[in-house]
Amino acid sequence: MTEKTLQNCGKCGICLNACPVYKLLKEEQASPRAKLQLIKAHDLHTLGSSPFLKDLIHKCLMCGSCSAACPSGIDHYSKFMEMRQKMVEAHGETPAIKSLIYLLAREYRTRFGAGLARTGQKLMPAGLAEKFKLGNIPLKNFPEFNVVPFRKAHDEVISPKGKPLGRVIYFTGCATHYLYGDTGSATIGILRHMGYEVVIPKSQVCCSIPLLFHGAKKQAMKNIRTNVKALADIEAEAVLVDCSTCGEALKNEYPRLFKAGSKHLSDARNISSRVTDILSFMDLHFDLLEFDPAVTENISVTYHAPCHTRNTFQSHFLAEKLLQRLPGVTYHRAPDFDQCCGGGGTFFYEYPEVSKKMVDKKIESAKAMQATHWITDCPVCRMNLAGNMDESDGLRVLHPVTLIYAALKQI
Amino acid sequence: MLNTEVKAEFIQIVGPGRYLDRPEELACYSYDAFVEEALPDAVIFPQTTAEVSQILKTAGRYKIPVTGRGAGTSVCGAPIPVRHGIVLCFSKMDKIIEVNTRDRYIIVQPGVVNADIQKALLPFGFFYPPDPGSMNSSTIGGNIAQNAGGPRCLKYGVTVDYVLGLEVVLASGEIIRFGSRNIKDATGYKLSALFCGSEGTLGIITEAILKVLPKPEAVKTLMVTFDDLDNTAKAVTDIIGSGILPAAMELMDQLTLNAIEDSANMGLDRNAQGTLLIEIDGVQEACDKEMKKIIEKVRENGAVHIQEAGSENEREKLWTARRSAYGVFAKLAPDIISEDVTVPVSKVPEMVRRIIEITTRYGLRVGVLAHAGDGNMHPMVPADKSNKEEWGRVEKAFAEIFKAAADLDGTLSGEHGIGLAKAAYLPLVMNQATLDFMKKIKHVIDPDGILNPGKFV
Repeated sequence: MTEKTLQNCGKCGICLNACPVYKLLKEEQASPRAKLQLIKAHDLHTLGSSPFLKDLIHKCLMCGSCSAACPSGIDHYSKFMEMRQKMVEAHGETPAIKSLIYLLAREYRTRFGAGLARTGQKLMPAGLAEKFKLGNIPLKNFPEFNVVPFRKAHDEVISPKGKPLGRVIYFTGCATHYLYGDTGSATIGILRHMGYEVVIPKSQVCCSIPLLFHGAKKQAMKNIRTNVKALADIEAEAVLVDCSTCGEALKNEYPRLFKAGSKHLSDARNISSRVTDILSFMDLHFDLLEFDPAVTENISVTYHAPCHTRNTFQSHFLAEKLLQRLPGVTYHRAPDFDQCCGGGGTFFYEYPEVSKKMVDKKIESAKAMQATHWITDCPVCRMNLAGNMDESDGLRVLHPVTLIYAALKQI
Repeated sequence: MLNTEVKAEFIQIVGPGRYLDRPEELACYSYDAFVEEALPDAVIFPQTTAEVSQILKTAGRYKIPVTGRGAGTSVCGAPIPVRHGIVLCFSKMDKIIEVNTRDRYIIVQPGVVNADIQKALLPFGFFYPPDPGSMNSSTIGGNIAQNAGGPRCLKYGVTVDYVLGLEVVLASGEIIRFGSRNIKDATGYKLSALFCGSEGTLGIITEAILKVLPKPEAVKTLMVTFDDLDNTAKAVTDIIGSGILPAAMELMDQLTLNAIEDSANMGLDRNAQGTLLIEIDGVQEACDKEMKKIIEKVRENGAVHIQEAGSENEREKLWTARRSAYGVFAKLAPDIISEDVTVPVSKVPEMVRRIIEITTRYGLRVGVLAHAGDGNMHPMVPADKSNKEEWGRVEKAFAEIFKAAADLDGTLSGEHGIGLAKAAYLPLVMNQATLDFMKKIKHVIDPDGILNPGKFV
């Protein structure tokens, strides 16, 4: 049986209920099943290519929930990615997305862009920051860029506290590198506390999922080869990610992108087999964590499970378990804790009206939990959730590592 | 594409946002889970009964075909617009109008998803029994139009047994309402029975009053394996014959079980020739007593392994295995044909034998899956439609399977409906006068034949 026949959609419609966009819009053309049909029609030339077809294909969070639910084991992800590339080649990208690709395609450009943006944030008059929005998010609600990019601010090899237990690689991702330095510092802090030596390869670059999603495969491949080279030869028991989308890329996408028999493929597989998200790692080594009960006393938290955490690592239950095990912390599960927030990489920017409905629903039910902190382990979810609230909503959005690190006993 | 004048009239009714006719959009309403496809000229999303009425009046004036659609999960081609025209899609007409568990009914719009009805009833300790495999996606309008069933319909009955009343828009645009909020209602013709299974050929359902039941206090679930498929089927007959009516009794053969195991890796017994998933519910004491009897009966028929679900999680796992069967079969070949011939339960062993004999003779693989307790068989044949020679064998085999079911006092469809898939085989189970009678009814209500034309009537 060929690969092709194995990958057939029976059009059963189970994916309809898994797809956050379909569930909101209740239109077949938004469903994963319809996208597969459109791709098939396009490939068979029964349907011509058009900017509207591109729009239908792109109206997708790339959350992977359809693949996770599909009983036929269809790899929607790769099929959508390939089609997105064709559509971008045929119909181009919007200037904003083009700039994003341009910036992420080269490390020095990303750094330059982040620096400019930081200056921009500082110089922008308050009134303007209030008024201008990216998608639904007012500029004033965007996180401040790190003063110094995270990897630049840290040594390449960081020694553990106490007796060394082993060594791990930390793939920081762009979000931690440029925006959420707190996530990175907490991750390093936790790993050192556990007794791990942390290696942060200087030559790592963007995981390139955003590039692949927007059809920029050529630019992505250059980054991907750089990352494979940066990570493959370092001896370490795990390659850790604090972002499940970077994790998804390293674990599932990279090995699919190289030719059989190539050195790159064996390296990518080697990396893939070692990729672990920080939640799973903390759960596995929970006995190495020592807490100071005074710090987290009377904190009540709720959790938002990012799609890639659910679909790639299934570690959202571990996040809940970790939060429940923190001394003094009360955990409240929102009924929709595992529903998509509508962030979806650049989805919140491209389809603000759809995204807004999704995020508002999430915020409403999280607020009903009466929690002080809203924990989530994806930087885009964090940006989207925090960006659509203001101070009066009374919820602080954090990566789980930040809370867990704060709760640790100082050693 | 409809001409601009007609298009303008429809847009006048629903606004431009709920009228689609770009080719990219139309392609998404050309299919369901059956193998055929046909493009509509336009897709309209009504949200009120008044809109549906106006749409049908306009369509009637121009004699434009109208095919209803919910979530498009039908496996017999019922919502495929074979004569083109309009697809009337109800996914956005999805309000739950009233939940009344004191009087034991729920009133819903047609686009409400079956699982959302269950969710709405759960806090009150009630449920809506029909549970088609598609229940997480499929809409109640489609469930009614197809007279959907599901595993637990063995004990509880199918959709038609739960429709207390309907609001229907006729081809003329007239709105009729029949039935009531009462379980007992002997007022005139039982018209709900006419519309259950009408597959959108007689009218468009715009509101439904459904009977709901209190959830039973106890549920017990059992998975039993056998080293002989014939014995598996005989165990089913024996259990039913002993006076026990389980909520569900699902049969899976070895090929089905292995396909599930390949896909989900759940630790199912790959060597079992036949597997039964049995569920009983009711009062705790009664369940315990019935369970003992069931175990006795399966042992008498040579059960190899008996596993009882110890927790809700384990129960969910067993059911997940069963529910994923159709999907996993879809990946064995480019296409899959699954039918739902139904025979009296005492004929289940014979029907299983005949299905295997027929498909083997035509050189086809077959997975036998059945809601065995009510004789509802699901032979699934993975094949490649583009391979004309193979497809020819598939069609011949199914023609013989339909014939075999008819010979065993069975029927063509237990729960999927007729649609495109089985229209040609109706004469096997109905005489000409009966077929004419259906045509007469259709002609009186829809003289121009605009409602779901090209289907079984």
